[in-house]
Amino acid sequence: MSSRAFTIAGRVMRQLIRDRRTIALVVIVPLVIASLVGVSVPDKSILDYIAPAMLAFLILFFGFLITGISVLRERTQGTMERLMASPVSRLDIVGGYLLGFLLFALLQTLIIFFYMIYVLKVNYYGELWQILVFQVIIGIGAVCLGTFFSVLAKNEFQMVQFIPLIIVPQLFLCGVLWPVSQMPDYLQWLANCLPLTYGVDGMRAMMLQGQNLLDIGKEVGVLAAYAVGLLILAAVTLRRGTSS
Amino acid sequence: MPEKQFSGLAVEVYGVSFNYGRLKVLDGLLLGVPRGISFGLLGPNGAGKTTLIRLLVGLLRPRLGTIRVLGQNPSPKISHLIGYMPQLPSLYAELSIIQNVEFFARIYHLADKTERKQRVEAVIKLVDMWGHRNDSVMRLSGGMKQRASLACAIVHNPPLLFLDEPTVGLDPELRVTFWEYFSALTRQGATLIISSHTMDDAAHCDRLAFMRDGRFVAQGTPAELRQATGRAEATLEDAFLYFVRRGEGKGDV
Repeated sequence: MSSRAFTIAGRVMRQLIRDRRTIALVVIVPLVIASLVGVSVPDKSILDYIAPAMLAFLILFFGFLITGISVLRERTQGTMERLMASPVSRLDIVGGYLLGFLLFALLQTLIIFFYMIYVLKVNYYGELWQILVFQVIIGIGAVCLGTFFSVLAKNEFQMVQFIPLIIVPQLFLCGVLWPVSQMPDYLQWLANCLPLTYGVDGMRAMMLQGQNLLDIGKEVGVLAAYAVGLLILAAVTLRRGTSS
Repeated sequence: MPEKQFSGLAVEVYGVSFNYGRLKVLDGLLLGVPRGISFGLLGPNGAGKTTLIRLLVGLLRPRLGTIRVLGQNPSPKISHLIGYMPQLPSLYAELSIIQNVEFFARIYHLADKTERKQRVEAVIKLVDMWGHRNDSVMRLSGGMKQRASLACAIVHNPPLLFLDEPTVGLDPELRVTFWEYFSALTRQGATLIISSHTMDDAAHCDRLAFMRDGRFVAQGTPAELRQATGRAEATLEDAFLYFVRRGEGKGDV
């Protein structure tokens, strides 16, 4: 990755700041969803249980959606072709997107987290900075997931079609709403292959049991491996996606 | 212009064929483009012009044959010497013209800030968009987008430029203006490969290749191609039809 990745990251951030709808999607929509969850959950103890998982899910969902559509737009408007004919490497492009979205993922994480803690009065244990670091790790995974699937989509509609295929099953299978251990064995096996399971487990371990990043080393490791793997896959498949 | 360090032809194409799946798009192309001229790839939609340009800038690889661009294989190694203006305006709609041009200047590693600023200003002025430099691209007309797109393609002062249908959708006045930009670039020593399906553009080129169904049906200067028809009053359109009817595979005039 060269300094060009930072040039791309700067451009991605400038584009996002100028796009009011995306800003609304990053900031306001997650707050609305968090509020709905907060108001509709009947019992405060259930909210404490669901909130960490919801945080992980919202970061994954919005990270995936915004990155996916932005990278896709780069292709459909032809700028990807222009970049591919320039001295930029594929790793620069994917790395640039990752860096560019990271700041927004962080901003979004902070907003949702503090909203849940101070407005919805969700209880948490564990150190605040460590919880935030773990959420950023989930955000990096989400950005890599979005980048990779945008390579497979030909247009915005196809990108949206990935949501019920990639995101919704994780909502039901990864322990957001009920524990993975209560599901049939074959679904537990499937859940263990999905990244959100590790995001949810890690967030609950930190927020409900006060564990630190070292205690949840397995979850951090699996999410990091997912991110690196998807980043490499996205970089490898990027050229094919633009040239045919 | 750094172009002077290269010898020989700017572009060489030897027996190049290309398929999209089972569809044969290019078939045994042979081409040599001298340096410092404007070279027109003329042909109807679907003739294979865009595919050939994408092969030349390294976005695609030929199934058969060899391509040499500035004496080398098309690869990231020489991409800083190439300017590419794709068929779509290919700009970041949310950003202003100056932000778009500045971005590509950085991508092409114009590292020195003063030099970069001067170069960005020069190319935006060249395409007469300085007064609109802070306008968001999404608010621009089609012609303005084309001009901004050209500025992005030439910001790094490339010795070789590939322009894929740069004049499509432009009104006649702006089309003339574009050809003034192109003439200014060739006068500075740059080589321009321009694809088009209108014979208005063809008349402005130093040399031409007529393309149809993935093959060159004729190559030469506009005057040579017209003369080959044997009629003094023949237009380039007549010449194109003459060569198409005479059969494919005709070489240099």
